[in-house]
Amino acid sequence: MIQRLLPFTTLIVLFVGLSLASPGFFSGTNLAAVARQTAVINVMALGMTLVIITGGIDLSVGSTLALSGLLGAMMMERGAGMPMGLLAGLAIGGLCGLINGLAITSLDVNPFIITLGTMSIYRGVALVISGGVPVTGVPESFAQLAQARVLGIPLALWILAGCAVAVHVFLVRTRAGRYAFAIGSNREAARYSGVAVKFHLTAIYAIAGLLTGLAGMLHASRLRAGQPTEGQGYELSAIAAVVIGGGSLRGGEGSVAGTLIGAFIMGLLANGSDLLGVNPYWQQVIIGSAIIVAVTFDEFRRRRGSHAG
Amino acid sequence: MLLELRGIQKAFGGVTALRRGDLAVGASEVHLLLGENGAGKSTLMRITAGMLNRDGGEFLWQGRPTRFLSPAYAAAEGIAMVHQEPLLFPHLSIAENLLLGQGGVWVSRGKMLREATRLIEEMQFPLQAEWLVSKLSPAGKQMVEICRAARAEARLLIFDEPTSSLSVSETEAVFRTVRRFRERGAGIIYITHRMDELRAVGDRVTILRDGETVHTALLNEITTPEMIRHMAGRALDTDHGRQAIVGGAEALRVDGLSRSGAFAGISFQLHAGEIVGLAGLAGAGRTELCEALFGLKPAERGEIRVGGQLVELGSPREAIRAGLALIPEDRGQQGLATALPVEQNLTLPTLNKVSRFGFISRGREAARTTESIARLNIRATAGQLVSRLSGGNQQKVAISKWLLSGARVFLFDEPTRGIDIGAKLEVFQILEELAQQGAAILMVSSELPELLQMADRILVMREGRISAELTSPTTQEEILRYATPAGAAVA
Repeated sequence: MIQRLLPFTTLIVLFVGLSLASPGFFSGTNLAAVARQTAVINVMALGMTLVIITGGIDLSVGSTLALSGLLGAMMMERGAGMPMGLLAGLAIGGLCGLINGLAITSLDVNPFIITLGTMSIYRGVALVISGGVPVTGVPESFAQLAQARVLGIPLALWILAGCAVAVHVFLVRTRAGRYAFAIGSNREAARYSGVAVKFHLTAIYAIAGLLTGLAGMLHASRLRAGQPTEGQGYELSAIAAVVIGGGSLRGGEGSVAGTLIGAFIMGLLANGSDLLGVNPYWQQVIIGSAIIVAVTFDEFRRRRGSHAG
Repeated sequence: MLLELRGIQKAFGGVTALRRGDLAVGASEVHLLLGENGAGKSTLMRITAGMLNRDGGEFLWQGRPTRFLSPAYAAAEGIAMVHQEPLLFPHLSIAENLLLGQGGVWVSRGKMLREATRLIEEMQFPLQAEWLVSKLSPAGKQMVEICRAARAEARLLIFDEPTSSLSVSETEAVFRTVRRFRERGAGIIYITHRMDELRAVGDRVTILRDGETVHTALLNEITTPEMIRHMAGRALDTDHGRQAIVGGAEALRVDGLSRSGAFAGISFQLHAGEIVGLAGLAGAGRTELCEALFGLKPAERGEIRVGGQLVELGSPREAIRAGLALIPEDRGQQGLATALPVEQNLTLPTLNKVSRFGFISRGREAARTTESIARLNIRATAGQLVSRLSGGNQQKVAISKWLLSGARVFLFDEPTRGIDIGAKLEVFQILEELAQQGAAILMVSSELPELLQMADRILVMREGRISAELTSPTTQEEILRYATPAGAAVA
């Protein structure tokens, strides 16, 4: 249990440390900025948590983010209105995920390979449709979403909280969530227990796509544009958040709380380095090291735990 | 003495695995090591083979105090171990597995194949050197593991339950190997759970209980009940007769079931309250038949009726809905998600019964779990990971998960594989209770004494077909006669 708390402790230590080291850190404006920045990665990482629990991986989420943001923005530019534009973005994300899931289960090919392929395909489609040019004609109301506050807290954070609660309930209280753990822990045993493995796997990828679509719209709102080139490398940040939070790439392990903590640790590391004037090139080195240290500790805990006569 | 262990101690974290392990093995001796799961047999052997370091006690190898720092040291001294769960490279061929680490930098494929073939032929196993290990059955992997240990000129060979997944004829091949090594002057330590095979190979026996050596004796000076008493610390009634139930309704009827390359023309019935044994050698198609009945690999031709109703079983879901349950042969790979807690394994097939609109009711799930744990006397808590349980308790979880599914037909594939004698008796009791409650049971087993004890009828499979249906009283010899392919010699 002590070691389970390690990511959380790290987050607290980081928070307190940065508050002391940098006067600008503990201010409403800065924290709101951190929240907005990490909300996008965080919402994506929630979907990635589901996928990783099933023992899979989704490399295409960065491209999905760009494609759904782009198409949502295009709808709005052509006068479809904000609600329709938002829905379109979500639907595109869900569709991308559904295609991933169907390809993985029906072709029976490793998720890494399938989503490596769709990562390139979705990005290509976004570039073809937009001609590589950002779509900027979005309504002001859409752009305001990213800036909006409800009860003094950024709307993006509310959306993240809502998604986090929903995914958490899905994982611990629903049958489908339980099946996700079972499939990731031992796919054969799940099949032998009568779980419709292919159906549930496909659904998980679709849900992850839907969350990515939402993240895409949040991101587009922040940029006030649909950018076909956005989100490159985001898939790795999302994966990193999950594994820092205790998710296992072998499947069967992961939690919403862990992923949120993982994403905030990375967000604070980036923000803190900015405030303290650390060279941005060094930031990458710091974040990379944090990933390795976190996962090493987790492996250590696992190995110590599994020694029995 | 070749090997002398005195008062060996070993603890993992706070858990003591060995309190006082004593064992002495001479050259040209087959020494049996008995004990229930968790008694410390495997720990003692892993210390002997240099895989673990002891915490205390004396270790004499050929009379000299010794400490093997790694398996390589032990191997250099001529100690080889045949593991219970084979440690093989699944993506490499049998030949590569056998000869890995041998020779220089360059690998000569032809020479390797010849050498591997020679080893396999010496053991008289039905294997080909170029086969991929991942395609082998558990029995096949065990044979490769035995060949690998036999490869080196071993002075002390340790067999950790080598026959738990082997059929009768394969077991005989293992015994021949053991005898050959003894004739060459090697010492052999042999761990087994099968009481029937002890006297076929052993000279002396050492019995461990709760991490301590409790008894050592010459095999011809100790009776089987005495050995069981030492193992369990109490007397166990091993051969209580079963009250056969006759005249139950037809629960399962199979007509002309076939799948090419696996089995053909299978027809039989199971009645409510009946335990029917399914005997046969490894590869006779018994597991494949179970897989077809459970919808895992559906049959191509033939009809299946459950409770008189014709059913199409294209997936496990359909089979479960029709009222079937399969407790598979490979617990760790197919029966259980061992990295998940006991509770999540117990309720996995019946989650729909504790949930509404897709949401699980925690209270009802917990109630079911408590009930299951109590009913089968599973020694575990709901939150414990299955991987931490003993083989016997794991098997009880694997069975228990089906007891609430409402199944009327239970397919047990090797239900006593790798579990100790106390747990075996409990599994038998569960089978009998199920039958008493009106379930129909098909019990696949390679342990003929167990089939003879439990089954009301015994079906024998040979090369994918049912070769005989024997009603008790029958004998091991009679079963074997029908199980062995025509023309092959019975050992």
